Amino acid sequence: MSDREQQKINHNPLLKIESVSKTFGGVQALRNISFDLHSGLIQGLIGPNGAGKTTLFNLITGIYKPDDGRIIFDNQHIQGRQVHELVRIGIARTFQNVEIFGSMNVIENVMVGRHVRSKCGFWGAVTRVPWMVREEKNTFDNAMEILSFVGIEELAYRKSSELPFGWQRLLEIARALASNPKLLLLDEPAAGLNATETRQLGHLLKKICATGITLLLVEHDMSLTMEICDRIVVLDQGKKLAEGTPKEVQSDAAVMAAYLGVEG
Amino acid sequence: MTQDRIIYGIFFLVITAIGFAVENHYYLQLLTIIGINTLLALGLNMLMGYAGQISLGHAAFYGIGAYTTAILTVHYNINPWMSLPCALFLAVLVAVIVGLPTLKLTGYYLGMGTLGFGMIVHILFREWSSLTGGASGFVGIPPLEIGPISFFPARNYFYLVWFTVLISFVFCKRLIKSRMGRALRAIHDSENAAKAVGINTRNMKLEIFVFSAALSALSGFFYAHMVSFISPESFSFLVSVKIVTMVVIGGMASIWGSLLGASLLTMLPEWLHSFSDFEMVVYGLILMLVMIITPQGLTRGILDIYERSRTTKNKP
Repeated sequence: MSDREQQKINHNPLLKIESVSKTFGGVQALRNISFDLHSGLIQGLIGPNGAGKTTLFNLITGIYKPDDGRIIFDNQHIQGRQVHELVRIGIARTFQNVEIFGSMNVIENVMVGRHVRSKCGFWGAVTRVPWMVREEKNTFDNAMEILSFVGIEELAYRKSSELPFGWQRLLEIARALASNPKLLLLDEPAAGLNATETRQLGHLLKKICATGITLLLVEHDMSLTMEICDRIVVLDQGKKLAEGTPKEVQSDAAVMAAYLGVEG
Repeated sequence: MTQDRIIYGIFFLVITAIGFAVENHYYLQLLTIIGINTLLALGLNMLMGYAGQISLGHAAFYGIGAYTTAILTVHYNINPWMSLPCALFLAVLVAVIVGLPTLKLTGYYLGMGTLGFGMIVHILFREWSSLTGGASGFVGIPPLEIGPISFFPARNYFYLVWFTVLISFVFCKRLIKSRMGRALRAIHDSENAAKAVGINTRNMKLEIFVFSAALSALSGFFYAHMVSFISPESFSFLVSVKIVTMVVIGGMASIWGSLLGASLLTMLPEWLHSFSDFEMVVYGLILMLVMIITPQGLTRGILDIYERSRTTKNKP
């Protein structure tokens, strides 16, 4: 590990998960999970099906409330807070199956992403006061900037539902970036992409990370995870199996066993 | 932006021209009723067409607007222009109280919830006789006037209502093209994704429900002062369904669709009088045909025909 990365890890973590547990009916989906997410790194969360990745993802984004334990983001307790409040304090996400706003064009999708960083309400809209017009223009300019950052600015006025899947995924990432997040959670961002698209996605994620945004990937695609992640957490059957750099994780006996079914 | 201004300018001229040209009082009144229904449809279209939340009880807000102003002006001798804010306030208050629990519902369940609300209000209008005059109705609602200008003549009332429609169009268009409008359409497309980008979906749905209720109450206010006599049947479940039909036939998520839908559903019964006994059959058939030919509503249907004719013309 380079000195630079070591320094980042020693820094105060952006997200702290402290002995979090979650049960559904009689099924223990997560059992006493603890780990830290460090500022400015790309981190991966992997594990076989049913390991509890999605549950953990939903706990961090506020869809579920943990039965036990604490989640601390940017020095605030966030367990049980509402989804939209979490976006406001800097947690953005994308969906595994891509949930874009199909009736709108591309630029409008990104402008919706700016919702929490703008504040024009009903009266501002109907009276069209000068600050509202200014804010609207800022929202538009910002959305354009993000589209060109992601590399799809020429699609700005295309209807989003008519885009190919790969571009929809980029659009969803652009929309998430529009909220100026500190932490971006991506639920299987490589799902449904071909090899070239996956490679391009890897470049984009690194570029996002370079702007100072922390990333957490929940992934099935091992090649992408191993290639771009600085640190990886492995879950299996609701428990944390291993944590470390991609190399450390790859050589971990327990991880091999969980993935390949080798005994001992 | 400028294109919008041109369209509003044309709309303004058309209203003025019609007001000048039409002499027959009966037609002027019919046109005014269309204007009132357009306000109703517009209100529901904001909720249903843009935010994707159905309401089968909107006649209740229409009735609250009408009965509030009727009771205040007749029983308490309050100036109608003072009773308007009261009517709007009451509609907003009721919308908040009803909206908070029911807007948690989605789809059919929201439909059922609002349907129940509409029926309760209708029963209140009918049974609370000491206040509302009961089933026999409420008579003697005074006409509107501003200083020396009386809105009793049909032409003046026509202008009053239609210029209100014009202003409402401008406001609604502005709302749709704003941060809030985008958020509403986002909720319509995917409520989960809307939450994930930080939209407080519960408050946003409530806000548009309240706005929609206020527009309906405004419409009820104009209705009461125009006809001077109201009865519970003008605000029954069937009226709620009629408002939904106006929105769907005219075109969801389209401001001009509200105008088209309201016009068609107000005019059709007038044109169909000659069918006497078969009136309702023909009425139903026409609505069915419109939905089969243009399932997206009239506005979208007309635009499609226009675009198709343009593309075929351009072909060699």
